Amino acid sequence: ELLGDLLKEKPQEADGIDSVVVVDNVPQVGAERLEKLKNVIHKIFSKFGKITNEFYPEGEGKTKGYIFLEYSCPAHALEAVKNADGYKLDKQHTFRVNIFTDFDKYMNISDEWETPEKQPFKDFGNLRHWLEDADCRDQYSVIFESGERTGIFANDAKEPIVVEERARWTETYVRWSPRGTYLATFHQRGIALWGGEKFKQIQRFSHQGVQLIDFSPCERYLVTFSPLMDTKDDPQAIIIWDVLTGQKKRGFHCESSAHWPIFKWSHDGKFFARMTQDTLSIYETPSMGLLDKKSLKISGIKDFSWSPGDNIIAFWVPEDKDIPARVTLMQLPSRQEIRVRNLFNVVDCKLHWQKNGDYLCVKVDRTPKGTQGMVTNFEIFRMREKQVPVDVVEMKEGIIAFAWEPNGSKFAVLHGESPRINSSFYHVKNNGKIELIKTFDKQQANSIFWSPQGQFLVLAGLRSMNGALAFVDTSDCTMMNIAEHYMASDVEWDPTGRYVVTSVSWWSHKVDNAFWLWTFQGRLLQKNNKDRFCQLLWRPRPPTLLDVEQIKLIKKDLKKYSKIFEQKDRLSQSKASKELVDRRRTMIEEYHAYRENAQKIYQEQRVLRLDLRGGVDTDELDSNVEDWEEETIEFFVNEEIIPLGEQA
Amino acid sequence: FQRPILLQGHERSITQIKYNREGDLIFSVAKDTVVNAWYSANGERLGTYNGHTGAVWCVDVDWDTKHVLTGSADNSCRLWDCQTGKQLALLKTSSAVRTCGFDFSGNIIMFSTDKQMGYQCFLHYFDLRDPAQIEDNEPYIKVPCSESKITSAVWGPLGEFVIAGHENGEINQFSAKSGEIIKTVKEHSKQINDIQTSIDLTMVITASKDNTAKLFDSYTLDHIKTFRTERPVNSAAVSPVMDHVVMGGGQEAMEVTTTSTRIGKFEARFFHAAFEEEFGRVKGHFGPINCVAFHPDGKSYSSGGEDGYVRIHYFDPQYFEFEIES
Repeated sequence: ELLGDLLKEKPQEADGIDSVVVVDNVPQVGAERLEKLKNVIHKIFSKFGKITNEFYPEGEGKTKGYIFLEYSCPAHALEAVKNADGYKLDKQHTFRVNIFTDFDKYMNISDEWETPEKQPFKDFGNLRHWLEDADCRDQYSVIFESGERTGIFANDAKEPIVVEERARWTETYVRWSPRGTYLATFHQRGIALWGGEKFKQIQRFSHQGVQLIDFSPCERYLVTFSPLMDTKDDPQAIIIWDVLTGQKKRGFHCESSAHWPIFKWSHDGKFFARMTQDTLSIYETPSMGLLDKKSLKISGIKDFSWSPGDNIIAFWVPEDKDIPARVTLMQLPSRQEIRVRNLFNVVDCKLHWQKNGDYLCVKVDRTPKGTQGMVTNFEIFRMREKQVPVDVVEMKEGIIAFAWEPNGSKFAVLHGESPRINSSFYHVKNNGKIELIKTFDKQQANSIFWSPQGQFLVLAGLRSMNGALAFVDTSDCTMMNIAEHYMASDVEWDPTGRYVVTSVSWWSHKVDNAFWLWTFQGRLLQKNNKDRFCQLLWRPRPPTLLDVEQIKLIKKDLKKYSKIFEQKDRLSQSKASKELVDRRRTMIEEYHAYRENAQKIYQEQRVLRLDLRGGVDTDELDSNVEDWEEETIEFFVNEEIIPLGEQA
Repeated sequence: FQRPILLQGHERSITQIKYNREGDLIFSVAKDTVVNAWYSANGERLGTYNGHTGAVWCVDVDWDTKHVLTGSADNSCRLWDCQTGKQLALLKTSSAVRTCGFDFSGNIIMFSTDKQMGYQCFLHYFDLRDPAQIEDNEPYIKVPCSESKITSAVWGPLGEFVIAGHENGEINQFSAKSGEIIKTVKEHSKQINDIQTSIDLTMVITASKDNTAKLFDSYTLDHIKTFRTERPVNSAAVSPVMDHVVMGGGQEAMEVTTTSTRIGKFEARFFHAAFEEEFGRVKGHFGPINCVAFHPDGKSYSSGGEDGYVRIHYFDPQYFEFEIES
């Protein structure tokens, strides 16, 4: 074998030219910088193979701007073209790399058009197949047996229906893409994407030691992170991939993965941005280059967040000597600051966008001048109104949780300190006021889970609060139901807002691992015990294809539809009941037949029993009544002391 | 409606409880070395049987309520006069006595000893009609169990064999004449914590650490039913009048600290014997339930817990009318 390899490497006359690449757009340098240039080129291009020869043509005291590199074999040259063509050395120089012989080829293209060869079509079927379920069942993924098995189930109110179940499908956990098209599984070598009716493997991304991933909202791009891959020259810690082609688009360094995702996407996938020390870097797609070719210098920037509805970034910077802390709203790509809000005596800020980008809430923790204590304000930015007015809500207690109503204008807050925790519900009204609708006290809750459609929510006391649950209808702020899923670690709403799953994960509690299904009103439907259950994730749905008018029409005719659905439900219920009744009837008939037979044998052995007990019949409790003695025993039951009135 | 009767006579966890044949008495034994006898009608204590110096693991009473048999970690199996409380016999062993019982006639006793300190597990048979056996501490058969120790055992319907449950989940029938193994089955994957017979002795129910209880035919050891839970089952019993079984359980000692904050939430669970479906639970114990037993008339049941309490529950009328049909 060694001989074969050596022979392959032997330079051959004809092959010599096939191993040469031409690199264009190389910086033109003079003699004094030539050595440095050669080192840089060498570092970049020796990655693809052994460079056996190089030629830097010169003219007028400088290099001409194009060079020739020869590799030890054509395969390496091809690698160089594949990976280095388009490499941005710096702002002015983007390499163009070509095989030398290609020039010949392109010069000699015939004038006759030859149709290119057809690529075999990789048919993955209908990637949206699950949406066509006649009974509109949503799917969810379940990881159990401590990670050994992963299953996909269709949600039916009666019981989960298995769609697919595989052993060792993933090595750690799974993630759905934001529109539900793909299931991503994690492996030592990288990420795999699965989809379609049969969950075939659609794409593979090689990223050794991958730990975290993130999708762009449009599902066009996948971002992967691995702590293993980073080298100083070749950033590989974070890689952005094109999902459809599987191509690596760009690599980035990453100092710490503590706040994943490092790159935050705009809602339409046009931009992604990340924050580093004093810098906000915004990139555009599909070029993957910096917007306007430079990062933004924002001294002291602490946090930023995209509006989920528009290409607006909100960020805040803390106080700096005389300059107060401030929150800024910046429009992209214009970079115009559409709103700035100054804040005083700020300790910390958190940004909370409402799901449609209609409102931004900045939770501000402040220490007012002259006091020691900390107070919290909510600064509510009304994004849809001219000049973005800001209203302030002052909170008297520490905040445990905050959440906007999706699709609505309410928000819920958990405040106070255990054991005295309160839940409050606010409505951001059109008239400029923010109304406190209701407060409930003595809550056993540390998390808020709104239905993705709004109006309903679950207040949950997860983990240390032993799984207390409260189902609330915020249209009139009533508690629909109070229940408990002991030691629940997670709460997940289905994408339609009809069902809630509470679960006890093996990752946080080693017994009673199960997931329970509830209606949105808090009625318990199922308890599903699964050996070492770890994680349940609902499959997201893509945005509806219906427009506002069509939805209005359906809502108008809702009564007609509900009649049909109810009838369907009743039919399937009675079918299930009938199946259950039949199964039970069989079981009890078989059991009684067995018992009858056993009784027969028992009767046949009566003589033996009498013999063993010296003739005493003990077959029934009252078999030998004649032997019984009657005895009257008095039990002390109660004592009552009645004081007699004083003698007059 | 009668409230549960609480028997407070032990300072440590209950290890076994037994009703006598007529059901007027309940016997309870615990890790505190105490052996108690109670009137089941009102919970009044009849008396104690004093003598054991170690945790008492098992108790049995003969069909005529004349003798009481106990086995203990003090390496002894003792025979008592039920009425007077007098110790009639002390059978010393080399290791702890784990399970014991009178046969149908009350003439033969069996008990098993643990695999401990170099001694293996043995199943002992004594004939009480032969005083020499007791005086000389010489069982007429001593069966070694080298493979997996016996963790619980009951007598067969007519005293022909003992049905034993083992640490590895196996069930064996040991002949009372020869000590040979007549039949073996392995349906459980983990230790069998308890075996009890149905009132007519035709069936046995096993409670296992593998989170299930199973119903077997006493003679054929055919596996008839399985009752599944998510916790190890410590004890199970068959109702003498209804198609019901009751189960009590707990969890690994390690996890007790995380769940012990649930006051009074350890439950006895009732399953329909034919449908294998749970239909009811009774709360009340402050710790895992170690032993359950039905009153012979089926109108009440008792449970003994890790908390040291024995609770006697009387069923309300709805229990007997309950139909599981949907």
